Amino acid sequence: MRLLPLASLRYLTQHRLQLVLAVLGVALGVAVVLSIDIAIRSAQTGFRISAETVSGRATHVVVSDIGTLDEAVLLKLRIDEDVSAAAPVVEGYAQSPLVPGRALRILGVDPFSEGPFRPWVAGGDSGLDVGGIIAVRTGVVLSSPVADRAGLAVGDTLPLLVEGESWFLPVVGLIAPGDDLARAGLSDVVLMDIAGGQEVLRMPGLLSRIELRIEEGEASDVTLERVRSAIPAGVGVEAVGTRSETMTGMIAAFDVNLTALSLLALIFGMFLIYNSVTFSVVQRRGILGRLRALGVTRGEVVGMILREAFWIGTAGAVLGVAAGLVLARGLVGMVSRTINDLYFSVSVSSVDIEPALVVKAAALGLGATLLAALPPALEAAGANPRVAALRSEVEDRVRRLVPLAALAGVGLCLAGGLILLAPTRSLLVSFTALFFVITGMALVTPAGTLLVMSILRPVLRALGGTLGVMAGRAVGSSLSRTAPAVAALVVAVSVTVGLGVMIQSFRGTLTRWLDGTLRADVYVSLPGPTASRASGTLWPEVVDAFVAHPAVTGHSTYRGFDVVRGGDAFRLVALDLDPRGESAFDFLDGRPEEIMAAFRNGDGVIVSEPYAYRRGLESGDDIVVTGRDGPSAVPIAGVFYDYGSEQGTVMMARVAYDRLLDDPGITSLGLFLDPGADSEAVVEELLALVPPGRAVIVRTNDTLRSASLEVFDRTFRVTAVLRLLAFIVAFVGVLSALAALQLEKARELALMRAQGLTPGQLWRLVLAQTGLIGLASGVLAIPMGLVLSTVMIFVVNKRSFGWTLHMQVGPDVLIQAVALAVVGALLAGLWPAWRMARAAPALALRGE
Amino acid sequence: MRPIAKVIGRRHGLGGRWPFVALLAAASACGGVVEQGAEESDAERTLSLVETLGGLDTAGYARALAVRDFVFPEDHGPHEAFRTEWWYVTGNLETDDGRPFGFQFTIFRSALAPTPPGGPSSWATNQAYMGHFALTDVDGEDFRAAEIFARGGGGLAGASARPFRVWLEDWRLESVESGDAERAPLRADRGAGRDPAAGVFPLRLSADQDGVELELVLEAGKLHVRQGDAGLSRKGPEPGNASHYYAHTRMPASGRIVKDGDTVAVAGLAWLDREWSTSALSEGQVGWDWFALQLDDGWEVMVYQLRRSDGTADVFSDGVLVDPEGRRVALSWGTDVEVQPTGTWASPVDGSVYPSGWRVRVPQRGWDLAVEPAVLDQELRVAFRYWEGSVRVSGKGEGGEAVTGRGYVELTGYAGAGR
Repeated sequence: MRLLPLASLRYLTQHRLQLVLAVLGVALGVAVVLSIDIAIRSAQTGFRISAETVSGRATHVVVSDIGTLDEAVLLKLRIDEDVSAAAPVVEGYAQSPLVPGRALRILGVDPFSEGPFRPWVAGGDSGLDVGGIIAVRTGVVLSSPVADRAGLAVGDTLPLLVEGESWFLPVVGLIAPGDDLARAGLSDVVLMDIAGGQEVLRMPGLLSRIELRIEEGEASDVTLERVRSAIPAGVGVEAVGTRSETMTGMIAAFDVNLTALSLLALIFGMFLIYNSVTFSVVQRRGILGRLRALGVTRGEVVGMILREAFWIGTAGAVLGVAAGLVLARGLVGMVSRTINDLYFSVSVSSVDIEPALVVKAAALGLGATLLAALPPALEAAGANPRVAALRSEVEDRVRRLVPLAALAGVGLCLAGGLILLAPTRSLLVSFTALFFVITGMALVTPAGTLLVMSILRPVLRALGGTLGVMAGRAVGSSLSRTAPAVAALVVAVSVTVGLGVMIQSFRGTLTRWLDGTLRADVYVSLPGPTASRASGTLWPEVVDAFVAHPAVTGHSTYRGFDVVRGGDAFRLVALDLDPRGESAFDFLDGRPEEIMAAFRNGDGVIVSEPYAYRRGLESGDDIVVTGRDGPSAVPIAGVFYDYGSEQGTVMMARVAYDRLLDDPGITSLGLFLDPGADSEAVVEELLALVPPGRAVIVRTNDTLRSASLEVFDRTFRVTAVLRLLAFIVAFVGVLSALAALQLEKARELALMRAQGLTPGQLWRLVLAQTGLIGLASGVLAIPMGLVLSTVMIFVVNKRSFGWTLHMQVGPDVLIQAVALAVVGALLAGLWPAWRMARAAPALALRGE
Repeated sequence: MRPIAKVIGRRHGLGGRWPFVALLAAASACGGVVEQGAEESDAERTLSLVETLGGLDTAGYARALAVRDFVFPEDHGPHEAFRTEWWYVTGNLETDDGRPFGFQFTIFRSALAPTPPGGPSSWATNQAYMGHFALTDVDGEDFRAAEIFARGGGGLAGASARPFRVWLEDWRLESVESGDAERAPLRADRGAGRDPAAGVFPLRLSADQDGVELELVLEAGKLHVRQGDAGLSRKGPEPGNASHYYAHTRMPASGRIVKDGDTVAVAGLAWLDREWSTSALSEGQVGWDWFALQLDDGWEVMVYQLRRSDGTADVFSDGVLVDPEGRRVALSWGTDVEVQPTGTWASPVDGSVYPSGWRVRVPQRGWDLAVEPAVLDQELRVAFRYWEGSVRVSGKGEGGEAVTGRGYVELTGYAGAGR
């Protein structure tokens, strides 16, 4: 049976443009899915590898809530408890002008303790001069990737900025990682002796953690129990994976959101396939009918259409994989930058292309293609051989379907809405619901289109007379062809509206929040690894000098660090507020004066909205904080709006903090100036007070504000790129559908031309038709987009990040959407109009 | 003469490698504490002495150039300006019902650089410590050894003279009074008046490894003995290739051993060697045989033979007798004392052949002793493999009188030699 493949081939080669666009649609969908997948995976892998390489063969870690513990704990374990495989580690981040744009990880270890953990540090085959590491003060060992990038060799000096302090550290050794994995894992590591590490990180007497290696076996529980009973309150022991799992868990919501957006692109691709396959079926009604009359079975027809779809899908998948791999390289940088900005330092040294991801994306593309082609294929098979060729019959049937589809669409939207109301925080559920809503709204679009056309009819008559009415009627009368195109365009535009409104609302909320939160005139912090949060400890003498500046009339201090405990992670902050800073908090409920009074006295803590939301807490509930005397319960005095950390923040008054912990450090400082002072000038004067060799970041309120917004904008760059890609996919779909639609009407138009329609009138007719489709799509997309953005703001964002955004709808997003739809549709009409205006009517008429 | 310590003292081995590094690497493979065990890779990991010998960078270190008038308790404590130092205790013990044990407990100190790095961290140090602890259960023919390393900082290891204390994690040798005083039932007035070195006694020694613990109280016993030329022990022709060396050759010891859960009370005699130097080994010396024998008639003999690569004994080999009053009788190598192997033993690890059993003679005084290992296999399969074990002595002692005794023998430079 060679007939059907030949028929397919003939049709497809005759409609090359359609073929190319269909393939392109699949390819784009696959490319977006794959590249996002790769970017996320690479970031995760980069984090995991460096965590694993750095933690070596440790099985457990002893860590404290506040990130540091007394080094006496190590002695207790090693000597009193006889836990021999216990290694002290200090860790921190630094920047070097020789390795720009990259945070370096300082790892301070005791080489003598390293044997069971990181044999490459303990010497031996690595050829490290362990004696030199220990005996040379603040000597560093660089991994060869770092050394190569910095252009350093043994004997050279590494300039390093560590928590604001400038160091010139002698390079005493190089490690050449044996394999790629270790190479990747060490690509940002600066290894030091523990003494040097404590010195440059300014933490003598303290450790970041103690690593343990407890072999599996009967005794392992006993050993662990011994360790547990030996460590002080506030210090815990956990399996080595827990910590990095918790940290990768921090970016889970971010990952899910990106993945969902990438799948959206694929769904647009499906619209496109559905569109073009439907169109091809519609166009071939005649021949399909004849084939059926000749005895071709329904199954064979379905097979034929699906085979076509298969080849389109395959070609699209292959192209998409190729494009995805290219796209991934760009996205990896953006994604890891965002993670660095918002979550933790991650070094992604390579684009991690897992074959499984490639296969998954290709299979998704192919599967989506076949799925999208199935309804039209079944429709083709279901055609009655005799009446198959009758257009009017098809249109009648489609028209009858319109109310049913609309009903089904409303049903889907309601179902989606119900799912959204379900009391869950699952993102999967939310996105499933969102998919329901989008599909439902797509099904409503034909009815919506007819509605828009009937509303527009008087306007069209007034504007264009008979031609105007014709243009409007054509949209409705060829619904079988226009409906998928309109639906695709509506969905695409509504998604851009939705995302646009969401980003706008987010930014607006953030701006307002920053205005309310940033009360001080000048902010002081140390340069650190993540842009969105201060880290390190300011030198007390610098703090004193700044506070003593004559223009400074008051100050607030801030001590903050990330607590990672068990599976939980949040930010703990101690605040000593100037009275002027107390109004910085906007509480969900309760009287601010009462809340702040409780806070000030240390009778309660205040927590951020994400903290409370994620843990199901509210004002009045207790949270447990662990101090030097063990855990104690503190009531939540209030819940404040916060957009700084999605993990959540717990803030307590400095007095309460000092009762809890021995940690006099200050992370950052807010200064209130004399009303008459010029803050820019004061910043300059303050900077002049900083001793040479030290660096602090001193920013005015405005500078900090715009720096924060800059981070925000950078964060949403990935979203913006996805928004664009999604739109391109949809646009290609619309282009193909509308162009094909007009081309199919060649005969009808030729007839009109023969009856006296001038080329100019034809131009206008065609463009009016496509323009109307664009307009209808744009208009329909606005309510849909608003629904989408509502869902994204109040459900997806809330569930993902735990914060409440204030919805803001600017006219620009809406105008943009309509313009985009109309321009896209007009562009789609250009080529057919140009072609038909040039064609001789007789030739076109003789075509069949 | 303690070869192991020679190893940790060398900074520049072949190919720029530094032996301590290699030792560490070897230790890492076994998880920090190297337990005696049949590990196939032991043979590979063992470093030959030749390998570890190289150019000596002695610049910046103190040298043992002249006789030193020892001052106590300071000289019990560390001499960090010298590169290498050790507190070396061996002994033979017995339970009440006569079950014999031997033990070796050594803490080596090695300077990584002539001066400390400085800085605010308590971990900042230029000192490294290595410990070996071995226990021989003679009846059970069971020998177990362990090795640990730590830096001399962060509280993990260190040494001090006042109070006297040397420790490496929970292995320690210290004045009892620096710990709990009630463990000093024998304190009395012994020694302190006559021998300034005895002032820190009694000492408490404690060490453990998998399944084995040892806890002893050591009395000073006899006067301390200054080896070599009044405590300056020359090992080679070059000036400075020498060590400061004294010993307590007969320390009454009592305490307990815990082995595989069984605790037994033990008592016996121990021997402490104290030696520090910056460079001691000369070109062409490949290893040595060291004997420390305690005879039942109250005499001790210490003999060491430095072996040259051609198999002959080096002229700087040395020996000494200690009479029951603690007086030192120097022996001249080659004329006064003879040591002849009477048998061999091959290590199961790689077949390296050690002498096993000797005839030690001091003909002028009628001494003719047969020395036999208490257990054949007392090889420490640690980073630097060597044999050190309890021995049994019988034959003729002072004046040709029949005598028996016990002691310790150390054999180095055999394992992996010639590879």
